[in-house]
Amino acid sequence: MILDRLARAVDDRLRLSPLTRKALAKVFPDHWSFMLGEIALYSFVALILTGVYLTLFFDASSADRVYHGAYAPLDGTTTSAAYASTVRLSWDVRAGLLIRQTHHWSALIFVAAILVHLVRIFFTGAFRKPRELNWLVGVTMLLLALANGFTGYSMPDDLLSGLGLRIIVSVVESVPLVGSWLVALGLGGEFPSDEMIPRLFVTHVLLVPAVLVALVSVHLAMVVRQKHSQFPGPGRTEHNVVGARFYPNYTLRSVALFLWVLAVLFALGGLVQINPVWLYGPFAPAQSTSPAQPDWYVAWGDGALRLFPPWEIHIAGHLVPAPFFPGVVLGGVTFLALYAWPFLERWCGGDRRAHQLLDRPRDHPVRMGVGVMALTFFAVLVVTAGDDILARLLRVPVYDLLNLLRVLVLVLPVLAGALAFLLARALRRGDAARLGELTRADLRAARQPADRGDAEAAADEPELPAPDRPGERVELWPDGDVWRWRYRDEPAGVAILSNRAVLTEQEAAESARLAYPGVDHVLVPGPPPPPLPGRVRTALRRWGNRALGVSLLVAALRQRRDRRRGGHGDGPDRR
Amino acid sequence: MGVRTYRSTRRWWHPGRTVVLGAALALAAGPAALAAPVAPTPSGSAAPAPNGTASTGARGEELFRQNCASCHGQQGQGSQRGPSLVGVGPASADFQLSTGRMPIAGEIPQPRRGEPVFSAEEIAALVDHVASFGGGPQIPRVQPGSLTAGRALYAANCAPCHGAAGTGAPLTNGWIAPPLYDATPVQVAEAIRVGPGLMPVFPSQVLTDEQVNDLTTYVRRLRAEHLDRGGNPLGRLGPLAEGLVAWIVALGLLVAAARWLGQRAGE
Ligand code: HEC
Ligand code: HEC
Ligand code: HEM
Repeated sequence: MILDRLARAVDDRLRLSPLTRKALAKVFPDHWSFMLGEIALYSFVALILTGVYLTLFFDASSADRVYHGAYAPLDGTTTSAAYASTVRLSWDVRAGLLIRQTHHWSALIFVAAILVHLVRIFFTGAFRKPRELNWLVGVTMLLLALANGFTGYSMPDDLLSGLGLRIIVSVVESVPLVGSWLVALGLGGEFPSDEMIPRLFVTHVLLVPAVLVALVSVHLAMVVRQKHSQFPGPGRTEHNVVGARFYPNYTLRSVALFLWVLAVLFALGGLVQINPVWLYGPFAPAQSTSPAQPDWYVAWGDGALRLFPPWEIHIAGHLVPAPFFPGVVLGGVTFLALYAWPFLERWCGGDRRAHQLLDRPRDHPVRMGVGVMALTFFAVLVVTAGDDILARLLRVPVYDLLNLLRVLVLVLPVLAGALAFLLARALRRGDAARLGELTRADLRAARQPADRGDAEAAADEPELPAPDRPGERVELWPDGDVWRWRYRDEPAGVAILSNRAVLTEQEAAESARLAYPGVDHVLVPGPPPPPLPGRVRTALRRWGNRALGVSLLVAALRQRRDRRRGGHGDGPDRR
Repeated sequence: MGVRTYRSTRRWWHPGRTVVLGAALALAAGPAALAAPVAPTPSGSAAPAPNGTASTGARGEELFRQNCASCHGQQGQGSQRGPSLVGVGPASADFQLSTGRMPIAGEIPQPRRGEPVFSAEEIAALVDHVASFGGGPQIPRVQPGSLTAGRALYAANCAPCHGAAGTGAPLTNGWIAPPLYDATPVQVAEAIRVGPGLMPVFPSQVLTDEQVNDLTTYVRRLRAEHLDRGGNPLGRLGPLAEGLVAWIVALGLLVAAARWLGQRAGE
């Protein structure tokens, strides 16, 4: 009641109902891969929630502080306030370690989910016109997520992260001409400067998260505005979106996923140790530890630094320090390539039309090959970052391992890319539905170049209104004082109900024509009966009902027997 | 005594860690990684039972002749296959024998830790015999020291090789600085004073006896489970092991959840 009135009062003043009605009716495609981005979104929410708690206890300062607390090996030791407060958070603050670990696990999974989401977008061609802008926003968010992960990781001022920070500083310093100036500007002095931690802190908890929140909003707004893309399928065209409505179907699903994300993150935070800074000790410029790695999402950079041979490269008479190439150049090229990909593909492939239907990954073998090649390359780099761990476990010399990895990083990506290209082509030409069904003949055919005019040309044909597609029709009917319609394809067994009710028959016909151009309309008297539930469902429900009935009966009988015996102390109606 | 494998002696692998390590290895290097080398039975393992009538000196000499002389020479003067033991002292001999490093089996670049081949008395006799070659540090006496001082000393002197968390790390030529979770306090002190293999010697001018006590106290504490306050330590392998768990366990679960939810909607 009160809620109703409140809603009406707000609506009277802000006129939100047309907007919300539209938003609640937004349709989300059913395929699970459309929820990957949501995993990232919900990890971000978890990061903000846990981060706020950490901010209450974290002291972002490099001033001296004596730690007194439950961790005996550091009790009475003078360290930086940042480090001391992180150890306090871990050992002395109630729930501090749980929240700290959950924050860190969320960071790892946040970036991982963004990456998986990006891979999905990439291989299905969802970045094509008209969604290039959103691709740019997404890549920017990835960049910011990496930056925020790294600043957060560096703030506690422990030995391990301090070593990482020093490496990044030396990479920035290696930029010709402006390097040392950039470092001085960023740190406000030489490397372990007093300004460093406060600046990292402001960047980490304010600047980057604020930009991220803004970009997430833009990202989602664009998805709503442009509508979702979808995989091709019966009843799915370039002009419609088939799936679940935002409210209530999709909302429930999404809330369930949110709870899943929180459950997994907090379970990890409580059960699996991450970044035990108390063991690593406070950062001291003269000290080091080994093995030493950064978090996985920056490990590719670390791996590249380890792989790059110590060459002395002179450009225009200047010695360019070695970290410049694997550090600055590789990072720059990676993100430039990511930003530029939609445009590169358009220029090289000549496909300038807008797409609402997604590619299946196999539809575009070149994209497949390039993508797999890049992923393999970065995977090898991440493995390289762990060379010291591998060398210890395998008891092989680090240098031999590095030399092997130097070969692998050049060979493996090419092989994997070529293989992916061939497989995609074989899948597309042949009639195997999935990888396991490929035959040798398919593979052999894939090795020959395409004869013009095969699937490629066919797939590129713009969709025309179909004058008569047998079995397809649009049904319209009045429902109270509104009109509804649905699409039906009897041979394929598909029936898709439109998500919006309109006031006149004409409007209903128009929106049906937009979604399914050229399909015949028929008027039907009333809403069709709901589809029968699946067989398993029905059986389950029937058995459930029977079981319930039987157990009720048994309970009633037992109760009666108890009562007749006069009750033994705990009968329900004994006094 | 039977065949002994080095895998079975790696007790610093907790069961939980083994799973993760296994995953890491299998992922990064394939099954080859799991085939740990098997050590042949040491030649001296069938040493004669202690002989009540012989003095310890004779016993030590006999054991040495049977088990060590082939590499280190009859008088401990050294040979092609092993260095001279003249002047290494009792601490070194006790360290090598009580950690099961000596006698080494065959040609491996670095002697490895394992179950000691000899009993405590046999070790004492052998140590006495090696001591009779002259010189070298005595077996240190260890007392409880300060944890805090020990942590600082460890960070400054040992962490670059053994890792801040004591996990060990690779050095040059396929040598590794081993994990420190199995060493007893006396062995830690011996290692500090003797500098086995590629490890540097820390004589009393560098680390006083008191500092050695602090160090042994801290190293002993490092293996304590309750330092892993946050849960499963993942072998204390650091960020990459954590990343692996994030990808395989967490993201795996979440993608499965998304698939499940998507499927439920699609039916
Ligand atoms: C198969 C050959 C071999 C056998 C048998 C062997 N050793 Fe060794 N020993 C070596 C080698 C090689 C080294 C050097 C290892 C290194 O580089 O750390 C060594 C090193 C040592 C050291 C350390 C020397 C130093 O400089 O500190 C001691 C002590 C020692 N051995 C004692 C023994 C004793 C006691 C036995 C008998 C129980 C024995 N060894 C049996 C090959 C052998
Ligand atoms: C240059 C690197 C290096 C440094 C520094 C170093 N160690 Fe070692 N340590 C080694 C190596 C290599 C071995 C293995 C020797 C062998 O197997 O013969 C070792 C072995 C040990 C062992 C024996 C472990 C076992 O399980 O058998 C202990 C204990 C030890 N070190 C303690 C220390 C302590 C304490 C410090 C600091 C004071 C330290 N080490 C500093 C390289 C180092
Ligand atoms: C993009 C989102 C974010 C990422 C990727 C991220 C990542 C990280 C990481 C990896 C750490 C190191 C944790 C550790 O010590 O083990 C950290 C620490 C920290 N983060 Fe975040 N974070 C994010 C957002 C936030 C937000 C929004 C806040 C505050 C509102 C915040 C507050 C903190 C604080 C105070 C610390 C230091 C405490 C500590 O290290 O224990 N973070 N962050």
